[in-house]
Amino acid sequence: MKIFDDHDVVLKHTLPVRLFHWCLVLGFLPAGITGIVLFFRPFGPEGMHFVMQIHIVGAWLLSLACLGFFVFQPKRVAAFWREIFSWTKRDIDWMKVSGGYPQKIFLGKEISVPLMRKMNSGQKLMGIFVFFGAIIIIVTGLILYVALPLVPKETVWYVDKIHLVVGVCLLGAVCGGHIPLGMYNWQEFICMFGDGTIKVKDAVKHNKLWVEEDIEKVK
Amino acid sequence: MAKSYQTNELHGIIQIDSKICKGCDSCKSFCPAEAIDGAYGATHHINDDKCLQCGQCLVNCPFGSIKDTSDAVDEVIQKLQDQKTTVVAMIAPAVRVALGEEFGMKPGELVTERVYGALKNAGFKIMDVNFAADNTIMEEGTELIEKIQKYVLNQPQEHELGPLPQFTSCCPAWVRYMELYHPDLREHLSSAKSPQGMAGPVAKIYGAQEIWKVPPEQIYCVGVYPCTAKKFEASRPEFTSAADYWKTKGHSAIYQDTDVVLTTRDLARLLKKLSIDICTVEPIEEKDNPLAEYTGAGTIFGTTGGVMEAALRTAYFVLTGKELADLEYAPVRGLQQVKTAEVPLKLAESGREIVLKIAVVHGTKNVEPLLREIEQGISPYHFIEVMNCPGGCVNGGGQPINPMGTSWVGKFKAILPWS
Amino acid sequence: MKYNYVEKAVQVTRREFLGMTGIVAAVLWTGAYAVTDIVEDRNKYIKMRADGLYKDDEKHAVRQSHKNKSLMSMYDKLAAKPMSPLAEELFHTKYVDRAIL
Repeated sequence: MKIFDDHDVVLKHTLPVRLFHWCLVLGFLPAGITGIVLFFRPFGPEGMHFVMQIHIVGAWLLSLACLGFFVFQPKRVAAFWREIFSWTKRDIDWMKVSGGYPQKIFLGKEISVPLMRKMNSGQKLMGIFVFFGAIIIIVTGLILYVALPLVPKETVWYVDKIHLVVGVCLLGAVCGGHIPLGMYNWQEFICMFGDGTIKVKDAVKHNKLWVEEDIEKVK
Repeated sequence: MAKSYQTNELHGIIQIDSKICKGCDSCKSFCPAEAIDGAYGATHHINDDKCLQCGQCLVNCPFGSIKDTSDAVDEVIQKLQDQKTTVVAMIAPAVRVALGEEFGMKPGELVTERVYGALKNAGFKIMDVNFAADNTIMEEGTELIEKIQKYVLNQPQEHELGPLPQFTSCCPAWVRYMELYHPDLREHLSSAKSPQGMAGPVAKIYGAQEIWKVPPEQIYCVGVYPCTAKKFEASRPEFTSAADYWKTKGHSAIYQDTDVVLTTRDLARLLKKLSIDICTVEPIEEKDNPLAEYTGAGTIFGTTGGVMEAALRTAYFVLTGKELADLEYAPVRGLQQVKTAEVPLKLAESGREIVLKIAVVHGTKNVEPLLREIEQGISPYHFIEVMNCPGGCVNGGGQPINPMGTSWVGKFKAILPWS
Repeated sequence: MKYNYVEKAVQVTRREFLGMTGIVAAVLWTGAYAVTDIVEDRNKYIKMRADGLYKDDEKHAVRQSHKNKSLMSMYDKLAAKPMSPLAEELFHTKYVDRAIL
């Protein structure tokens, strides 16, 4: 078992990863919110056109960032993929108690929770959802964007519905789950939005197995 | 009152439902007249002054937000119940290969006799517009031949004739396009009316006297067309030739030649309201009905190249004295947007050889280069067929909407929001 | 920005890489195939309807307008010929300049 002292700092998120995350923030959030606005159509013609333009810019940023990350950081994509699809009994047990979050937040009670690696089980679930959801939303969005007079009407109708449903679910999961919980764990928040580092003693709280088995001293 | 319409002309037929429209710009791609306003993402709106009433936007909207607001189904049902009125249904060529789709059949099922059966069941008398199509060939073909004799063979003609090249005039959306955007070239349109334009007078004069033997005022003509623009065409104030004719014989009533138009979709709704099903109805042949007698040339009017092919079959015979060796004239068939051909003819009377240069256009936007050639005086053609709808009337704005198809016959196109 | 621990390097075996690439290629290929099929068939219904009309043409013994007996009979009974004055009245028209309406 490794011994860490109070000054040990680990690089949890590298620069490309953090940049990608920024692109997701600046791309997905405007696209998702404008998407909801486009559904309800509250504004007049100029307003809706402007909203659509923001939607397109956000969508392009999201799409190109995903493509770029996939092409230039394939190892991180592989690591992500491995992490989100490795489910053990530990993860089932974690899910059964919801990671202890509702108990802590609503009842002020802290309970013991199975040890987690870099991503906890909830994050793994979110990861699966986001991985496939992003692919679906990007592909359907692209069809609606470039292929309209060519693609049959029924296809467009279904593509539009899928784009809407997946988009709303993603936005809900991000705004209702990912963002609040990400801010709740403030150390993690500044880690991802800052320089990517976190004190090892802080990381131990949520990612004990990762600290013990997956990190090494800088050579 | 919209600016580009004559008094009493039907307009504003095609409307976009602002509650459903998402501003996706699909309709704009299909509109031949740039008559749809609205930026990408904003609700779109049809500019009635520019709209040809062709309905291409309607049949191509992926969300079904565009509607045909001219609904005469209830009026027709009322007339059918009126014992004193002779209600005549005039069925266009393209209807017989598409009406079945509204009852579950595949596109292209030829259901002519079933349509006759269904209409008779409902109380209609039958007239086949293909008869009027043959009529159109006789009039338009003769006009073309006289123009060839005048301009190509330099033989003076007794009738007043427009210039070459001659454009077909059966498509009301195309005619409106010419009248609106190139009025200075409208003399090039054939003076012959469309089959609809001829069918009304035939029914109310010849039909009244010889076929149904009823007073013309009691005849109520219901056009059944694959076309929403026909609703506009039937309302043209000059289309009262039957009433004008009867006025010279002492009658006084005023009425349009065609009283009302139903699209293929409208007819399906009417039949369903009367619980008549095309799939189960007894087919009727109408062999003894002179107004339902038509030739193969008449029936192909509904597809792009069909009018041209029909005209060639007759013009070739009249000019050369021989029938076309191969009646199926392949160069004018198919979905290519502009098809051209050269037809060599050896004239019967002089033995002289001329080459008839023809062009077939579908999708009105594709006619612009040919119009420019005419303006510059360099058009090589003698006869040009124009159909507004891609593929011809079989894909008209009044046809059953096919969800897995679109009217896009051209190359790849992307709708970009800043275009 | 100072840190003294990093995550261990990610190892991707050649087998895994090839497997992934294979799956991605298969998915993209299938998708592209399906989409191009759908797009290529978008006009099929138009062709089917047109073929129906051409079949109607073939079914008819008489395939030229000038041989339509009852049409000729109508012209006789009306005592008219194509382009004659009566035909002009009933079957011909003039067009409108809509730019100045």
